[in-house]
Amino acid sequence: MAVCIAVIAKENYPLYIRSVPTENELKFHYTVHTSLDVVDEKISAMGKALVDQRELYLGLLYPTEDYKVYGYVTNSKVKFVMVVDSSNTALRDNEIRSMFRKLHNSYTDIMCNPFYNPGDRIHSRAFDTMVNSMMMQVC
Amino acid sequence: MSRSPGRKQDNHKISRELFVLTYGALVAQLCKDYEKDEDVNAYLDRMGYSIGIRLIDDFLARSAVKKCRSYSETADMIAQVAFKMYLGVTPSVSCSSAMGNEFSLILDKNPLVDFVEELPAERASLCYCNLLCGVIRGALEMVQLAAEVTFLQDRLKGDAVTEIGITFLRKPEDRKHKRNK
Repeated sequence: MAVCIAVIAKENYPLYIRSVPTENELKFHYTVHTSLDVVDEKISAMGKALVDQRELYLGLLYPTEDYKVYGYVTNSKVKFVMVVDSSNTALRDNEIRSMFRKLHNSYTDIMCNPFYNPGDRIHSRAFDTMVNSMMMQVC
Repeated sequence: MSRSPGRKQDNHKISRELFVLTYGALVAQLCKDYEKDEDVNAYLDRMGYSIGIRLIDDFLARSAVKKCRSYSETADMIAQVAFKMYLGVTPSVSCSSAMGNEFSLILDKNPLVDFVEELPAERASLCYCNLLCGVIRGALEMVQLAAEVTFLQDRLKGDAVTEIGITFLRKPEDRKHKRNK
């Protein structure tokens, strides 16, 4: 279960950030922000061939003492960053991949909405529901 | 059988996503161009009307249906044949007036709003699929049936189903001398 999920636009500003324990929100925002550097590093290291599904998923970006940060980049350079609690039973790679895939599918649904302008913040109820289902139940 | 040689009979299939996205872009652009929802609705209806007056010939040519003898047959035809042919859904028809000239088509699946979750807050009274109303109205007018077509319920506005109401306006003279083809 994720603790924080963020969707970052191509220009590296957040389109959507949601974290579950809402009192430490700023810390998660900071974590996501710093993870963007790692994302950029991985993208440039991979080179131009970003066609395969496997290469969209960046894997573990870096572990901190409490959390692990995973990244995923789409072909349109929109990044999904997920912060997962380390104390939680180690989530298998496949589960993280499937969570990212669901995120990606929901994101494409939002993009298809004719009233959504690419680059706007995401205010969709369906997306919120999907993200909620992936977040940890704290209370 | 109506089969003209120059016309490909294989029902060109284009991508449904492309169609839905095109319609969405059309509505979004109209929303940008006109501030008032009523204007957007009126223009969608007008566009639908000009589509309908042309579409009716295509429909009659491809479906080769017999002349409808009553309003309820006409409504059934629209729901079961026309909608099925063009949108792939079959709304259910119900007659909502004792006089037999008001019908409603209840759509539980509307392919045009596949990607639209809900209307934006500032467009609360937009009838997103008003084009369909114009199409039905234009098509009926070309077969000498005047009708008013509006949306009675809309899922995008929070109602349970999408309901299109067709009210046939009675003309004073009888329909005996009307010929469809």
